[in-house]
Amino acid sequence: MKPESMKQIEFNTTLEQDILVAMRKPRPVYWLALALSALCFAVGMVTWIYMMLKGMGIAGINNPVGWGVFITDFVFWVGIAHSGTLISAVLFLFRAKFRNVFNRSAEAMTVFAVMTAGLFPLIHLGRGWIFYWLFPYPNQRQLWVNFQSPLIWDVFAVSTYFTISAIFWYIGMVPDLAIVRRRTEGIRKRIYSIFSLGWTGSLRQWQHYNKLYMFLAAFATPLVISVHSVVSWDFAMSVIPGWHTTIFAPYFVAGAIFSGTAMVLTLVIPMRKIFRLEKYITLDHFDKISKVLLFTSLIVTYSYIVEFALAFYGGHKFEEAHFTYRLLGDYRYFYWLMLFCNSLLPLSLFVKKLRRKISYLFILSLFVNVGMWLERFVIIVTSLSKDFDPYNWGLYFPRWPEIAITLGSFGMFFMFFLIFTKVLPILAITEIKEEAAE
Amino acid sequence: MKNQFVFEEKQQFLEQLERLVKEGVNPKQITIFTPFPVHEAEEILRLKTSPLRFFTLIGALSGLLFGFFFTIWTSLDWPLIRGGKPIVALPPFIILAFELTILFGGVISFIGYLLLAKLPSIKRIIQPAEYGNQFVIHIQNEGQK
Repeated sequence: MKPESMKQIEFNTTLEQDILVAMRKPRPVYWLALALSALCFAVGMVTWIYMMLKGMGIAGINNPVGWGVFITDFVFWVGIAHSGTLISAVLFLFRAKFRNVFNRSAEAMTVFAVMTAGLFPLIHLGRGWIFYWLFPYPNQRQLWVNFQSPLIWDVFAVSTYFTISAIFWYIGMVPDLAIVRRRTEGIRKRIYSIFSLGWTGSLRQWQHYNKLYMFLAAFATPLVISVHSVVSWDFAMSVIPGWHTTIFAPYFVAGAIFSGTAMVLTLVIPMRKIFRLEKYITLDHFDKISKVLLFTSLIVTYSYIVEFALAFYGGHKFEEAHFTYRLLGDYRYFYWLMLFCNSLLPLSLFVKKLRRKISYLFILSLFVNVGMWLERFVIIVTSLSKDFDPYNWGLYFPRWPEIAITLGSFGMFFMFFLIFTKVLPILAITEIKEEAAE
Repeated sequence: MKNQFVFEEKQQFLEQLERLVKEGVNPKQITIFTPFPVHEAEEILRLKTSPLRFFTLIGALSGLLFGFFFTIWTSLDWPLIRGGKPIVALPPFIILAFELTILFGGVISFIGYLLLAKLPSIKRIIQPAEYGNQFVIHIQNEGQK
């Protein structure tokens, strides 16, 4: 046997072992983290039930600000989902190899974030138990949904997004599940055998697999753009100043990818440290993903500028008044903090040293998460609190149910992600093998 | 003739595969197992392009048609003027048709994949075939199935 070939098989075996180590029996810290997330999730769920019993009046939303933190959270979580698809589908089509170390966790993040996001419209409905009214189904009243409403487009966009992301995630995982099957025993082997569908790695399986993966990537790419465009149209289709603008769709899509990339960093940096994946997720990978972060930050900043430029150049009195209010009005600190997190701080990524400093990237990613949440809050709340008629003005601040449910959503997301790191392979093993063999 | 070859490395495996095809072994008799996709092998064995694309095409087209049909039909089923717009307002329906194109296209491609790759395979779930990180060439004899 040639020494070179030894290397290949050795690399593959160590890779498998390293990933499988992550799936071993967890340490107490893990249980603690899981318990904490589950507790937050439970707090959120209990609050939701309590709110259903008591009515929406216990939340801070009011007239005129009927959309508050719940819708902010919805947009935030849908946005988080987006960079998962960007990394798995768009970078796949562009043959950007650095995606291989991020794609599994990014796709997991997508699926969990869409699940979390999907709860918020239901929470916001108030009467959450009749959520199925959102879907067109033949019913006794012979009524159909209003297909002209952006909210119904949302139902279709988000549920399609969830289905396609879940299929994409699962199909990419089947060969890796077969590896786990080979390396486990007993009941776990049985379970992984079922979920790996009896995968053998024959040419027939791989040939169609490659095609399927490509088609799904080709579907997911326009889908991801359409989903956040549709979310932005929830706002842009109305005539409220600050919402009614044509740049909303690209602005939201860029913002979504920006926030999602930050969340990938937030999740992958601790994961890499805890499971000792430094060998596979290198500084070069972080360097590249930081460039994605920087690039999307620049697009977002550009959109902030264009928004103001359109308002003041358009000569629309209400738009002008609205944007002055956004910058200097009641919510100005949120807006300034948002500008600091999303536009100013990411500029530091122009410095190569900082792009390769993991601790810095982690802190930056937290700031971006906060900034992007604030962006949605500012867009939603400032526009509603002052629209056309001064008689109809009012302020909004979240009350405890909103805060508890938001906390619950983070709990849910992290709980699912923690479970994912223990039951599924956290890196795309076969893709890394394929790349290494070339 | 030997009918099973096992390799630890991709290059040797491909060389052997090429040799076998040149020696006149019918590519249809060759089954190979690899730890990751090896695109060169498809060329050597002169495989036809995967018919999966027809599933994708049919799925996507049916989604598109269903999207328009369903939105138009339900709007006509209860003809109510909403926001002063026409009963059959195509621009918003395009969005729904677009989403359904992707939904149907994706789901039917997935189903098509399972059919073409003969997955899930009950036999292999009960008794998995493991080749590890090895590249395996298996040649079936003429009469054998």
